[in-house]
Amino acid sequence: MNSKRRKLLQALGGTGVVAAASPYLSFPAFAQNTPIKVGIIAPKAGIAGTIGECGLRGTMFAVERINATGGIAGRKVELIVEEETNPKDSIERLRKLVLQDKVDCVQGIVSSGVSLAMGAVAEEMKALLIFWDGTTQDGVKETMANPRYVFRSTDNECEAVMASLLAIKYWKGKFKTIAGINPDYSYGRNNFAAFQALLKKFGVEHKVVADQWPKVGTTDLNSHVAALKAAKPDLIFSSLLFADLPIFMRTAHGAGLMDGGTKFVFPAAGFQHTALKKSFTPEGMIFGHNTLYFDHKDASPLQKDFVKMYVDKYKDYPHWEADRAYFAMQVFKAGVEAAQKAKNAWPGKEDIISAMEGVKVQSLGGPGHMRKDHIAEQTFYQGLTTHKNSYDFPTLGTVDTMYSDQIQKPPGADFWKWIETAQIKL
Amino acid sequence: MKTAVGVFVLAALATLFALPSVLSAYYITLVLPAVAYAIALLGFNLLFGYTGLLSFGHALYVAVGAYGAAVLSSKLGIKSFELVLLLSGAAAVAAAIPVALLSVRYEKIFFGILTLAFGMLFHSFLFKFYDITGGDTGIRVLRPSLFGNEFKDLDKTAFLVGPFYYYCVGLLAILGFVMWRIVHSPFGLHLVASRENRRKSEYLGVRVRFFRLIAFSISAFYCAVGGAILAINTGQADPELAYWTHSGELVFMAVLGGFANFFGPLVGAFTFIFLKSELMGLTQFWRFWLGLTLIVIVVLFPRGLVGVGQDLWTRLHKR
Repeated sequence: MNSKRRKLLQALGGTGVVAAASPYLSFPAFAQNTPIKVGIIAPKAGIAGTIGECGLRGTMFAVERINATGGIAGRKVELIVEEETNPKDSIERLRKLVLQDKVDCVQGIVSSGVSLAMGAVAEEMKALLIFWDGTTQDGVKETMANPRYVFRSTDNECEAVMASLLAIKYWKGKFKTIAGINPDYSYGRNNFAAFQALLKKFGVEHKVVADQWPKVGTTDLNSHVAALKAAKPDLIFSSLLFADLPIFMRTAHGAGLMDGGTKFVFPAAGFQHTALKKSFTPEGMIFGHNTLYFDHKDASPLQKDFVKMYVDKYKDYPHWEADRAYFAMQVFKAGVEAAQKAKNAWPGKEDIISAMEGVKVQSLGGPGHMRKDHIAEQTFYQGLTTHKNSYDFPTLGTVDTMYSDQIQKPPGADFWKWIETAQIKL
Repeated sequence: MKTAVGVFVLAALATLFALPSVLSAYYITLVLPAVAYAIALLGFNLLFGYTGLLSFGHALYVAVGAYGAAVLSSKLGIKSFELVLLLSGAAAVAAAIPVALLSVRYEKIFFGILTLAFGMLFHSFLFKFYDITGGDTGIRVLRPSLFGNEFKDLDKTAFLVGPFYYYCVGLLAILGFVMWRIVHSPFGLHLVASRENRRKSEYLGVRVRFFRLIAFSISAFYCAVGGAILAINTGQADPELAYWTHSGELVFMAVLGGFANFFGPLVGAFTFIFLKSELMGLTQFWRFWLGLTLIVIVVLFPRGLVGVGQDLWTRLHKR
C-alpha cells in the first residue's frame, strides 16, 4: 500500500500529471528482459481466507526457490496478488491483472463458483490461467471441453472417490446405515452421490438414514447434529471442508455422536487438520489430506524442506492448497523452459501453452502432470487417523496413496458412467 | 438552473463517450459495471430518494435481470440484447408486483425488512434449485448481439470496451432522461408528497399505495436492466447477485453519492466501483476502509458527495 502511494507521489512530483495518470493509460507491453509477471488471485478473508493464505505461502516458496536459482529461463518471477471474492469481483481482478498489469500468467482460485465463471472469461480473453483448485465443471459435467488458455486442477470428486474406496476397503460388511452431512452446493452433493454410487458398484448394501445439507459457513450445526444422532447411522460421510468442519466435530462430540462407534469419512478434512483437535475427534476416521500430507514419513526432501520452512516461519502445518499453488507455478515454469529450449528464443504464449500440455513436474506432495486436456493429475493421500503423535490434532496412522489417474475420470468421460464401468481397484 | 443541469449532463455524457480513447481497456471494463449500477440506482432512488422507501432487497431485481440474460442467452438461444432487456425487465416487473403489493402497505423498517426477506427468498431459490438455476455456480451469460450485429470479429474484451460500452452509455442517457421526466412529472410530485406526509397527501387525493406500487415496478425494471449489463460484463449470473450484501451495496452507492439529488446515486455508483477496485488492489483490509468511508459520509456529509460538491460550489459562488 505504502509503495503504491509513494509511486503515485513520485510520479506527481517528478514528471507531472501525465506520468501520474500513466497507470490509467494504454502502453505497449514491457520488454522481455524484465521479470516474468505472475498474477495470483486467492481468497484473503472469509471462510476460505486461511486456505488462500496457505496457497500463497506455497507460491512464495516456489518463487523464492525459482528466483534463487536464476528464475524461469533466466527471468526472475514477480508476483502481483489480488483477492478472490465473488465471481463478479474476481473476474474484475482477472481483467486488472491481464489488461492493466499485463501479467504473463494468472494462477490461483479456490472457489468452484468463481473458477467456473472465470474459466470462460479467461478463455475469451486468451489469458493463460492455471487454477490451484476449483473446477470448470458444472456439477460433474465439463463446461470447457477443449480449453486452450485455461488449465485446471484435478476433478473435485477425486477425494470423494478415494475416501469412498477406503471406506469400502476398511469397513465393507461393518456398516449398513449411512448418513451424510455435506455442504449445500454442487461439490457436497456430488461427493455424497459419488460415495453412494461406489457403494453400489462394489455391492455394499446400505440404507441412507439421514442427509443434511448445511449452507457453507454455517456456524450453528446443532439441528443437523441432532438429526444425525436421531438417525443412528453406522457411518457418516461428510465433505465439510471449511471452518464449519471443526464446528461440526465439536458439536457432534458434545452431543455424543461419537460415543456409539459410528464410523466417519471426511474426504477433504485436510484443510482443517490443525483445527480438529484430539480432544473432540475420534481415532480411526477416514481423513483426506488431498495432495499434501505434511507428516508423511516417506515425503520427498522437497516436501520436508517446505514443511520445515512453514513450521519455522508461520508456526503452523501446511495443507494441500500450498501444494496446488506450488504445482501451478512448476507447471508454468516447466512449460516456459521447455518452449524456450525448443524455440531457442523467448517463447510466446501459444508456445508456452503447447509446452505445458503433458508436462511432468515434481510438486510438494509428489509427482504430477498436466494432461493434454489441461486437467492436472496429482498424488493423493488419505488414511485412518491416529492420536499417537506429538501434535494436539490427529494424523494418519495408515497412509494410503493413489495417483489421480485411478480416481479421476479420463479425458472426455462422463463421471457417473465412468464410476459404473471403470476398473477401479480398492 | 436547467441550463446548468443540461450543460453538466452533456459534459458528463461527452466524457463517458470519450473515455475509451483515453483510458486503458481495464478501466473501461470498470466503467461498464459503474454504468450498470448507475442505471439500477436510477430506479432504486425513485423508491428511496423520491418515495422515501428504503429497500434492502433490490438486489433481487438486479439478479432477475442477470438471470434473465443468462436464461435467454444460454438456454433459449436469444442473442438480441434489446429483447433480453425487454424480457428481463418485464420479468423483474412481474416479480416486483406481488412483492410491492404487500410491501408498500408498510413504511420504514417494516418495508425494509419485507424487501430484505423477499430478496433472501429469491437468493435461496437460486441457490437451492440446481436444475433450474445452476445452484451455487449459476448460469453462463453469452455475448449478445446489438441491433442485430454480433461483432464476431471482436474478442470479448474488444466487444465490451467497444460497441457494448457505447450501447450501455447510450442506454444510461435514455433511461436517465426518462427517469428525469418521471421524477419531474405530476406522478413524481405525488411520490415526493407521499414521502413528505403520507396522511396529508392521501387527504389531498394522492393514491399513495398505487403510486408506490408503480414506483416499485419502475425501480425493478431499471435494476433488471442494470443486472443484465452486469451479467454480460461478467459472463455469469450467480446467486451472490441476489444476496443481501449486494442490496447493501446499492444502498451504499446511493448514500455515498447523495440520495437527495437526482445525480447523487450515479456519482455514488462510479465512485464506489473505482474506490472498491483501487482499495482491493491496495490492501486486503479494503472492506474496513469502505465501511469507514460510509461512516464518514453518513456522519459528516449526509447529503453525500454531490451535497459536498454543491456546498463547495455555493461557497465559491458567494465569493
